[in-house]
Amino acid sequence: MKYSDIVKTTIIISVIGFISAFSLSFMKKITQEPIAKQEQEKKLEALALVLPGYTVQQEKTVTIDDTPFTYWIATKEENRIVKKAWAFLTEKKGYGGPVQSIVGVDESNTILGFTILSQNETPGLGARCVEVASNETFVDHFITKNLTSKEEVSWFQEQFVGLNASKPIAIQKKGNWHKEMKEELIQHNAVTAITGATITTKAVTQSIEEGIQKLHKALTLQEVQ
Amino acid sequence: MDYFKEFFKGVWEKNPTFVLGIGMCPTLAVSTSVSNAIWMGIGTTFVLFGSNILVSAIRNIVPSHVRIPIFITIIATFVIIVELTLKAYQPAVYKALGIYIPLIVVNCIILGRAEEFAAKNNIPASILDALGMGLGFTLNLTVLSFIREILGSNKLFGYTLIPGFKPALLMILAPGAFFTLGLLLWGMNVIKARTARFKRTE
Repeated sequence: MKYSDIVKTTIIISVIGFISAFSLSFMKKITQEPIAKQEQEKKLEALALVLPGYTVQQEKTVTIDDTPFTYWIATKEENRIVKKAWAFLTEKKGYGGPVQSIVGVDESNTILGFTILSQNETPGLGARCVEVASNETFVDHFITKNLTSKEEVSWFQEQFVGLNASKPIAIQKKGNWHKEMKEELIQHNAVTAITGATITTKAVTQSIEEGIQKLHKALTLQEVQ
Repeated sequence: MDYFKEFFKGVWEKNPTFVLGIGMCPTLAVSTSVSNAIWMGIGTTFVLFGSNILVSAIRNIVPSHVRIPIFITIIATFVIIVELTLKAYQPAVYKALGIYIPLIVVNCIILGRAEEFAAKNNIPASILDALGMGLGFTLNLTVLSFIREILGSNKLFGYTLIPGFKPALLMILAPGAFFTLGLLLWGMNVIKARTARFKRTE
C-alpha cells in the first residue's frame, strides 16, 4: 500500500466516523427529553399500580450486599391510623437477561401489587409475563365488533397480589389462567407458571424473595441510623 | 433500467430469505406474532433504505479494502436512530421488539445489499432495491408469523381465534419456525419449477 493511500483511507474513515458520531449525538439530544419523560411516567404508573391507595413519601437507595437497592416508602390513612407500605425494585436473570420488576408490600408482607418494568424474554413464551389477558376473540374484535372491556393488568402479574412475600412462593404446574383459580392459589401461596419450563416464573418468584429480604435489611438499617 | 424489475426482484426472484438465504436469524426469531413481524419489517426497511442511499452515494470515494467497517458504521448509525426514535415516541413497540432492534445491525440483508448492490449501483436503483428487499423481508416475516401465530398461540394480532382451543405451543418455539420456513421454501420452489416448465413448453 502506498503512503498516500494510507492517508486517504484514514481521512475517509475519520470523516465518516465523525459524521456518524455527530448525527447520533444530535439524535440523542432531541430524544433525551421524551425518553426521560417516558421512563419517569412508567415509574410513576408502576408505583401507583403496586401501591394502590397509598401515597409515596420517599424514594431511597441504599447499598445492601454490595448492590444498590431502591425502595419507596408510602403511607395511607385509614380510620385515623397511618398505615405504611413499601415498594421495591428487584431483578433476577430470566432466560433472556434480567427481568426487572417493582413489588409493593404492606406491613404484613402481603403483596399489594406487582409489575414487570423490563424484560427480554422469548416472545410468545416468557414474554407472555406481560401479556394482558383478554377474552375478546378475533371475531369479536374485527367482525362482530362486540367489544368487551379489556383488562389493564397482565394475568401473570395479577396472580401475585395477595400472596405472602416473606414465605416462599410456590410454582404450580402450568395451567390456563382463569380468575377462579386465584383463591386456590392464594391458599398454597402459589402462582401458575407461564409455560412448562417455568424459567421466567422462577426468576420472578426468586427476585421477589430476594427483594423482600433486602427490604427488611434496609428497614433495620434505617432504624439503626 | 427497468425500475419495476429492480423493485420487484426483492419480493420474488431474489427474495432475501427464501432465495438468497440471508436474514434467516431475525426471520426465525421475531415471527412469533404478526404485529412484531410487521414492526420488525418496517424497522429493517428503514435501515436498509438509509444505508443503501448513503452507501451508494459514497461508493466512489470509499477505498475497497476498508469498505466493510465503513458500511457497518453507517448501518449501526441508522439502527441507533431507529432505536432512539422508537424508544422516545413508540415505547410500546420498543418494549415489544426489545433485543431485536439492536440486532438489525447484524441482519445480513442490510450488509448484504450494501455490499452486493448499493456499492455498485446509483442512488435511484439502490433506493428501489432497498424498498423491494424491505418489502420482501416484511412479507416473508408476515406470512411466517401469520401461520405461526394462528397455530402456535391460537391468536391473530393478539386476539384469540377459537376460545378454549389449546394451541400447538411447538409452533411458536424454534422448531415450529424451521418447519414453517421449510414448508414455505418448498412451496416457493414448486411454484418456481412449475412456471419454468410452463415457459419452456410454450
